[in-house]
Amino acid sequence: MEKLVELRGIVKRFPGVVANDRVDFELRRGEVHALLGENGAGKTTLMNILYGLYKPDEGEIYVRGRRVELKSPRDAISLGIGMVHQNFRLVESHTVLENIILGLGEDKLRIDFEKHRRRIMELAERYGWRIDPMVRIWQLSAGEKQQVELLKILYRGAEILILDEPTSVLTVQETRRLFEALRRMAREGKGIIFITHKLNEVMEVSDRVTVMRKGRVVITKETRETTKAELANYMIGRPIVFGQKKVSAKLGSIVLKVIDLKVLGDRGYPAINGVSLEVRRGEILGIAGVSGNGQVELAEAIAGLRRPLAGRILLNGVDVTGMDAGKMIELGVAYIPPEGNKLGIVPGFRVVDNLFLKAYRYPPYSNNLLLNWGKMLEKAQELIEEFGIVTPSALSRTSSLSGGNIQRLILARELSGIVGGIPRLIVAAYPTKGLDIGATEFVHDLLLRYKEMGSGIIFISEDLEELLLLSDKIAVISGGRIRGVLAREEADAEKIGLLMSEAVIQAG
Amino acid sequence: MPPKIETRFGRIRVERRVGYGRLYSISMTLLSLALAFLVVALILTSLGLDPIKAFQVIFGVFTKPSLLLESIKQSIPICLAALGLGIAFKMNFWNIGAEGQIYMGMIASTGIVLLHEYYGFFYEWMVMPLMFLTSFLLGGAWCLIPGALKARLGVNEILPTLMLNYVAILIVDFLVHGPWRDPKGYGFPLSIPFPEYAKLNIVLGDPAYTGLLLSILGAAAAFFLLEYTRPGFEIKVVGQSPAVARYAGIHVRSTILLGSFLAGGLAGIGGLSIVSGIIGRLRPGASPGYGYTAIIVAALAGLNPWVIVAVSIFFGGLITAGGALQMSMGIPKAAAQMIQAVIFLMILVGEFIKRYKVTIERPRVDEE
Ligand SMILES: Nc1ncnc2c1ncn2[C@@H]1O[C@H](COP(=O)(O)OP(=O)(O)OP(=O)(O)O)[C@@H](O)[C@H]1O
Ligand SMILES: [Mg+2]
Repeated sequence: MEKLVELRGIVKRFPGVVANDRVDFELRRGEVHALLGENGAGKTTLMNILYGLYKPDEGEIYVRGRRVELKSPRDAISLGIGMVHQNFRLVESHTVLENIILGLGEDKLRIDFEKHRRRIMELAERYGWRIDPMVRIWQLSAGEKQQVELLKILYRGAEILILDEPTSVLTVQETRRLFEALRRMAREGKGIIFITHKLNEVMEVSDRVTVMRKGRVVITKETRETTKAELANYMIGRPIVFGQKKVSAKLGSIVLKVIDLKVLGDRGYPAINGVSLEVRRGEILGIAGVSGNGQVELAEAIAGLRRPLAGRILLNGVDVTGMDAGKMIELGVAYIPPEGNKLGIVPGFRVVDNLFLKAYRYPPYSNNLLLNWGKMLEKAQELIEEFGIVTPSALSRTSSLSGGNIQRLILARELSGIVGGIPRLIVAAYPTKGLDIGATEFVHDLLLRYKEMGSGIIFISEDLEELLLLSDKIAVISGGRIRGVLAREEADAEKIGLLMSEAVIQAG
Repeated sequence: MPPKIETRFGRIRVERRVGYGRLYSISMTLLSLALAFLVVALILTSLGLDPIKAFQVIFGVFTKPSLLLESIKQSIPICLAALGLGIAFKMNFWNIGAEGQIYMGMIASTGIVLLHEYYGFFYEWMVMPLMFLTSFLLGGAWCLIPGALKARLGVNEILPTLMLNYVAILIVDFLVHGPWRDPKGYGFPLSIPFPEYAKLNIVLGDPAYTGLLLSILGAAAAFFLLEYTRPGFEIKVVGQSPAVARYAGIHVRSTILLGSFLAGGLAGIGGLSIVSGIIGRLRPGASPGYGYTAIIVAALAGLNPWVIVAVSIFFGGLITAGGALQMSMGIPKAAAQMIQAVIFLMILVGEFIKRYKVTIERPRVDEE
């Protein structure tokens, strides 16, 4: 079969790390090729090289058999290479149509909008997407934004498609739809590189899989000739245990009590509409639901980032409704925000700055006016070790860390108790999104450890598997309301799904 | 999104360069300086003047001690204002009102001097400290107005800071034409000359040395604030992302208030350095745009306080060179300013090219 892309002996060094170490990689026409590897393994770097964003220090790139030199993404684009990045790069205030045409680089004065609109509609229909080209980007869900990104590169005729962790922002249904589209594109003779951390997805959608580890390619295999366990082994160099890990902590007093809470969303209508719930010490309350149903607003209200419209929040029996984030931090509420690389850190800051983004103002790191960097650096070193953050040093720029390591950094800051000891309440919003299996396991273990130590935990996730794995109770949220709370023993995927859909039926 | 400019020759594309070496950076600066001097030489020759002699005068600014001192003197208000801007810009607060804040500092300093001269309000030793205090406060307050508008009402700071410049300049005009006019000044719009105790010559009896010390102290203070204090850290977080700042439990509003106040305060002291160090009295147009030059200085220096000191002295030198050219070669004022402007411009263009890559693409003809 024709080779669309061949990378030979690619080496890319960054200060302090070899991100790609003599990497060979090949993409055939008509295949979905999964690229697998731990956080920081060098997947994004390799793809950025193929997309012309980085120049390799060594190595050769062949596209359709011809040796090429990619000076910028423009060169890659003209060779029919398209990339959907880990985070979207769309202009939020523009329409879908404008965003797609913007990528074309046509003469602005002579654009035939009507022609483009029609063609884009046709293209979208071919892959089973229903998208109105005149809608503005900010009105779209994550899944739809991704369809726009794909349309953008398909529309300019790309046949080599790179998707960097496309499913980490998608709901289960959206993922399914994406996979159908990808299979269809492969049938049309395109080649698709698909980066993911989820082994299930590799098995489901890919024809071949390449595993990277610490900058090197470990193996490339036909997907049907391998298993999840084998892939995991290649990825982290040791077998991984799938399945139940139970920690029995005795439930203590009520840490958090939310009573009939109403919270406004960003668009100006209530996103949380009368939610009541309770979390005890040593308890993990899972919140299940399709994202965008009020989870983030609920979490932000509890973390003091969003003022409730009505209702009350009690922390250890004390009314804390309407207190600001600073107060909640002092009261021992840790908040792991969704999309940590947006809200959880300042990318331009050093690792130590981000580790102390909250604790910098409390003793012993500050006397309220002066900062004690000596103390902070010392502690940062400890945290880097303890939480396994891979970084050249505590003084490196955070933006150069891989996604998984940024998440570890956030966890270190929130959970290590550098502000006021062990957190009393942990609000974790999608804490394993974008993490590799090793890191996911690490987060799960960490949450269980804090449960054992007596923290109350709210665990928001879309992944039923991990919810069932960790939670003591699972509350199903939909349309800003809790549709039911199931104890772990009685909960299963079917019941949870039913509660979600009941809500839809009620709403419809 | 890199800006794109369509022309009939093709598309001009501007992209940010990702990381460049120090050697590249230095050679680009030298190249742009060389280009600047080439253009200046052309201008001079076309005016029938000897470019070599003119360059001797320009370089003399940095080699002749008396002119170097003058350059340093000119750099003080620029430096102090730019240090303040460094703080404001770190906070993502686009203060372009340093000029007005400088004027408010001059008003405060002059006010204290007049209070003492006319009414004998204070002991003589109190005058200088009070001038510092009030010019800081008044400059800060002037910047606090747009700061508060932003913090409370979310008003963008650019227009308020700019417009308050004109207000401040007009207040000075009013004062020196009216209540603060020197009774013995033959009706000229000038305040009385400052007495010795109100002059900035504490160090070695010279405002240049005193001012240099002031600049260095200012830079140290700004550096210390940003790197080693809690408010400094908060200013930087707010500047990077107000949303992250809120998440971290930082009071975004009070940080903006504090940051804008400090920025204006430093510019206010810059105002003091003009009336009490450079001119010795208050008059209309006492600052010929130091506050605007400071914006360029802060940007060129990459907001680094120590670099700001150095860049300010360079710009002070350019101003001095303009004066020297007029005096020693009889070059008209306008031409001297043109020479300054050319050098300014070349440096700016050089820095721009250093940081951004500009490419011209041929238009594609392969329309399907
Ligand atoms: N611009 C950069 N500057 C310095 N180091 C970098 C840069 N980009 C990546 N790195 C480093 O290179 C290594 C590989 O990073 P890369 O982003 O390719 O990993 P990844 O496999 O995509 O990980 P993830 O699954 O977390 O996204 C990491 O150690 C990272 O810190
Ligand atoms: Mg990546």
